[in-house]
Amino acid sequence: MKKYDIIPIIFWIGLSLFVMVLSNKLGLGKLHHPGPGFMPFYIGVLLLIISLYLLLRYILKKGDRGETAKKDQSQIDLWKIAIVVASLIAYSLFLERLGFLIATFILVTLLFKTAGMRRWSFTFMSSVLTVLVTYFLFTYLGLNFPKGILHWR
Amino acid sequence: MDLFSGLVSGLQISLQPVNLLFCFLGVFIGTLIGVLPGIGPTGTISILLPITFGLSPTTAIIMLAGIYYGAMYGGSTTSILVNIPGEPSSVVTCLDGYQMARQGRAGPALGISALGSFIGGSISLVFTMFLVFPLAQAALKFGPPEYFSLIWLGMTLLIYLAKGSLVKAVVVVLFGLLLSTVGIDPISGAPRFAFRSPTLLDGLGFVPVTMGLFGISEVLTNLEESFDRTIFKSKIKNLLPNLQDWKRSIGPIIRGTFIGYFLGILPGGGAVLASFVSYGVEKRVSKTPEAFGKGAIEGVAGPETANNAGAGGAFIPLFALGIPPNSVMAILLGAFIIYGVAPGPTFITQYPQIFWGVIASMYVGNCLLLLLNLPLIGLWVKLLKVPYRVLMPLILIFCLIGSYSLNNNVGDVIIMIIFGVVGYIMRKFGYEEAPLIMAFILGPMLENAFRQSLIMSDGRLSIFLERPISAVTLIIAALLFISSGFSYYQKVKEKIKE
Repeated sequence: MKKYDIIPIIFWIGLSLFVMVLSNKLGLGKLHHPGPGFMPFYIGVLLLIISLYLLLRYILKKGDRGETAKKDQSQIDLWKIAIVVASLIAYSLFLERLGFLIATFILVTLLFKTAGMRRWSFTFMSSVLTVLVTYFLFTYLGLNFPKGILHWR
Repeated sequence: MDLFSGLVSGLQISLQPVNLLFCFLGVFIGTLIGVLPGIGPTGTISILLPITFGLSPTTAIIMLAGIYYGAMYGGSTTSILVNIPGEPSSVVTCLDGYQMARQGRAGPALGISALGSFIGGSISLVFTMFLVFPLAQAALKFGPPEYFSLIWLGMTLLIYLAKGSLVKAVVVVLFGLLLSTVGIDPISGAPRFAFRSPTLLDGLGFVPVTMGLFGISEVLTNLEESFDRTIFKSKIKNLLPNLQDWKRSIGPIIRGTFIGYFLGILPGGGAVLASFVSYGVEKRVSKTPEAFGKGAIEGVAGPETANNAGAGGAFIPLFALGIPPNSVMAILLGAFIIYGVAPGPTFITQYPQIFWGVIASMYVGNCLLLLLNLPLIGLWVKLLKVPYRVLMPLILIFCLIGSYSLNNNVGDVIIMIIFGVVGYIMRKFGYEEAPLIMAFILGPMLENAFRQSLIMSDGRLSIFLERPISAVTLIIAALLFISSGFSYYQKVKEKIKE
């Protein structure tokens, strides 16, 4: 068990308590007529028991825990992952306002760069190509894309 | 419809130009993603699912199934040539396949894995044809208690066959079950855990969830790894194995077919476990176990046959019971429901054209794969050189477009991204995603069956033990839980890891 394994355990405990409280409000019903909260409540109970077991195991094994992280490398990676996730979220928020063509172009350029493409001219060309190919491919397949600020008929 | 006329009409359906085209597309994409790292069949099928909504259900399933078994072929190529498995199901192929390549025997290794896959895939279809009818017949008598017990058994197996820690697998299954309760309660109509969000009121869509777990999180994980691959440079010659190779391989191929098929039927088993167990068995029965790991052709032939046979076996519980045994089948089940076709005991009699069309298309697809993989092996080797920085943005764009196009709803895109991050974090902490998606899909079935049973019995829990089929199923599940019978698999897995 590694040091950070405590994080998911705390999450599971929190989740199970949260679910149990909410399901109790929904109504557990009776055994002959189970209500909407019945199943989530008892799953929550099971989850709580098992995560408490995990917690116990974690505490008991405290001694033989070692640092395993190669720090520099993992920090660079986390940055990359954060950039990708943030740009995906930004994309989904601005997709309908900016329209498919512009939003996708910006996103793809950013992604190519993050993934390690070096020359700007090449990145630019690849992005334009990717956007156009996906646009025509998916429009041909019958999907409708938000047009956003590029309004035309 | 008897077997023969069914198969003939199925062949007619699968040879229609449009179906043939999509079958080809399916196996082509399957081989492609099998060769490429960083995206597996589960992710691909969920990404391509929205595109198939315009097709007829038969055509769509023919294509999606093609991706599944096509990936089994493609996965072996990278194992043998670069010692990097394209798919988890061809991890063990690395052990002896790569060694064969280093000894200048890449040709026979690729050849025997393609031919073994072909044999395993074809024989498994014959098994399916004979097994699916009796099973569906029996399942017609099943009521909610039987279904509850079967799904319960399925989940127990899922946990037992999980790759990593058992306790973590239990946690993941419970998490999946909880996620499946989001949305409107099907029995009382009350909204659960929706927090007044219209997107959540419809429940978490299984397509965005799977895309996130298997598409986005895969990309995030791969961002960390550099893909420096040294491709084996020797010329690939003599693809056809010689008589000596055949003599050594025929036993592993036959055993691999049986092992693969029956493990494929089990929930949580599937192609990955099939290939591992086949390798273990071959090593055990071999007269020269010391040759394994040093380029023994048996170690390629057995597992490669088993993973394809397992892909065939996995269709049985889906077609006959409507219960998916692995995550790919779970997505296909979701696809069926979206197309308005419900798999289950009455599926084959209600939709014979889909059942036979898909079964026959798998024969056709296996032939296509043999043609695609043997003469065109050079093309796939070239594709190995596609850099990940080109691939990564494309996978992400496909995920984004796919999830948006489901309902033209940004909410689905956000759900996908969240589950991408969830999947990434789970991987980091050693939790598997496959049991999550299985529990997520099976959850509503489990809950409905459970609550309907209780309503039937007026609240007596003993109903599950009073009905013989249900009781036997539950006893098996309980025995599994108690016994360490399955520790054999754990041992095999550990041995191979070493």
